[in-house]
Amino acid sequence: MILKVNNLHKIYKNGTHALKGINFEVEKGEFLVIIGLSGSGKSTLLRCINRLIEPTAGTVEFLGENVTHVTGEELRKVKTQIGMVFQHFNLINRHSVLKNVISGKLGQLKTLNSIFGNFSEEIYDEAYRSLEIVGIREKADERADSLSGGQQQRVAIARSLMQSPKLLLADEPVASLDPATSNSVMQFFEKVNKEFGTTVICNLHFLSLVRRYATRVIALKAGEIIYEGQPKEINEEWFKTIYGDEAEEVEIR
Amino acid sequence: MRTTNEINQSPLDIIRQNKEVERRVNFIKAIFLDIFFVFYSVLVVQRAIYYKFILDLRDIPFSWEGILLVFIISVVISVCWTFTRTSISCKLFGVAKNNKVTKWTVEIFGWFLFNITFIAGWIITKLSIVDLFSSEGLQGAERLFGALFRPEFGIFDDALFAMIETIYIALLATLISIPITLLLSFFTARNLMKSSKFTFAVYYVLRLVLNFIRSIEPLIWAIIFSVWVGIGPFAGMIALLVHTIASNAKLYSEAIEGIEQGPVEAITATGANKVQVVWYAVVPQIVLPFLSFTIYRWDINVRMATIIGLVGGGGIGTMLMQYQGLARWHEVGLIVLMIALVVWVMDYVSAKIREAIY
Repeated sequence: MILKVNNLHKIYKNGTHALKGINFEVEKGEFLVIIGLSGSGKSTLLRCINRLIEPTAGTVEFLGENVTHVTGEELRKVKTQIGMVFQHFNLINRHSVLKNVISGKLGQLKTLNSIFGNFSEEIYDEAYRSLEIVGIREKADERADSLSGGQQQRVAIARSLMQSPKLLLADEPVASLDPATSNSVMQFFEKVNKEFGTTVICNLHFLSLVRRYATRVIALKAGEIIYEGQPKEINEEWFKTIYGDEAEEVEIR
Repeated sequence: MRTTNEINQSPLDIIRQNKEVERRVNFIKAIFLDIFFVFYSVLVVQRAIYYKFILDLRDIPFSWEGILLVFIISVVISVCWTFTRTSISCKLFGVAKNNKVTKWTVEIFGWFLFNITFIAGWIITKLSIVDLFSSEGLQGAERLFGALFRPEFGIFDDALFAMIETIYIALLATLISIPITLLLSFFTARNLMKSSKFTFAVYYVLRLVLNFIRSIEPLIWAIIFSVWVGIGPFAGMIALLVHTIASNAKLYSEAIEGIEQGPVEAITATGANKVQVVWYAVVPQIVLPFLSFTIYRWDINVRMATIIGLVGGGGIGTMLMQYQGLARWHEVGLIVLMIALVVWVMDYVSAKIREAIY
């Protein structure tokens, strides 16, 4: 077991109760997809796992260790083992693609070296390899903001690969991409999952993508888990429960 | 951090309690604001409008006892008013009753406040159309403008050197300010400093000090430093420097506060430490705004350097002051012309540079 989440609560300062006692476990090598409406707590949940957000109560166990209250150096060590990819890519626009990829390694570098851009040959090699995995090695020297959305997301994946992550979190990674690009980006997550055995937890909106890539699905509604199971078991009835009676399923291929 | 037990018992109760507390706090704020409004209106009506305008008294009777009496009466009136929950402050803090009475009182009292403030301002500034167009005054203005438009070029060499001095005063103040401001701006950016109590305290104290320094005009700083280091360009430069640091630290830190949080989140998630996050996710986003602010500030400093010269900060301003004191308006005309020309050129150049780097 790589991750165990226990009775996790998050109450924001403004009083929003975003997570109301979340329990689930993730086995090594899984491709877990979390679905649910906007505001259901998906993003909060992911950020509580790598502590970009502090949970209000409950515990998160990563690789058998309780990491809910670790701080400082220890917390950074945990973070280096968890990669994260975001909806809006969150690259440094003014930096080159290569420098963006290398920034994934920051947690394992000395502060002074990273500030003066002193990177060893191995790190450059690793960065080029990561770019090769996502198929855009030739873009290494271009500015990050000159790339298309899909390419930027692939750079973001390459950046997280630099961490050699045990766990990869993806917060709606294809929500701002077109359907065709979405699918190709998802294929890279699949590749990382299958070839390197990296466990993936991914927030998604489109059920067609869920059915194709997920090995297991969790559905959130108003901060609670209302469904947990195989993607193919989500039928019409479940769909209406998760997304509300008005919703209709949209296919993307 | 709350314990698990507390949460499991009643998360909704906590939310409800928080709202109740907020409502009470807002009501107390409303009481204080109402006291201020009423006290202010009574004072303005009594002293500016009644004594000064209607009775046209030369010496307005003043005693602290009188003020205290007015204050006590205001407190009584306004507290009663606030408790009806129809007052203007209740409306402002969102604790008012939602009915017609509130709507009318807010509207009427709002207009009343605006009007007495305007009228008091009129009385206090002694606004007078008669003075503006008196024949004696107009003659004086004519004489002055006539001289200004026929500048005396005999002092051109001296004026040119003084002008160059002014530009260098501004340039040096701007250059020296850059590294100091850079350092300060990171410590006065809320988003970087709010993480722990200690850093937040540093942030708070620094902000307070900088706000204080900024609230004192460069002119005053020039007076202080001309006593400290002696009259001359150095006093002017250091006065500008102090004010530039305080002003630009605010602009810089606001630029830092306004950056996109996404990259910060992404770099934090890689396990990078604080310094690395700032260097990789914050700095690239603020380089251009910083450059732009600094160039703009140089432009401002050239304008200010001329003013600072008036109180002994060196450069063209000091020269202007000397000729003005001698009432030699033709020479003053030349200096004013040169200042206008340089300011106009600086304005144009700095705008062009800022356009180019964006």
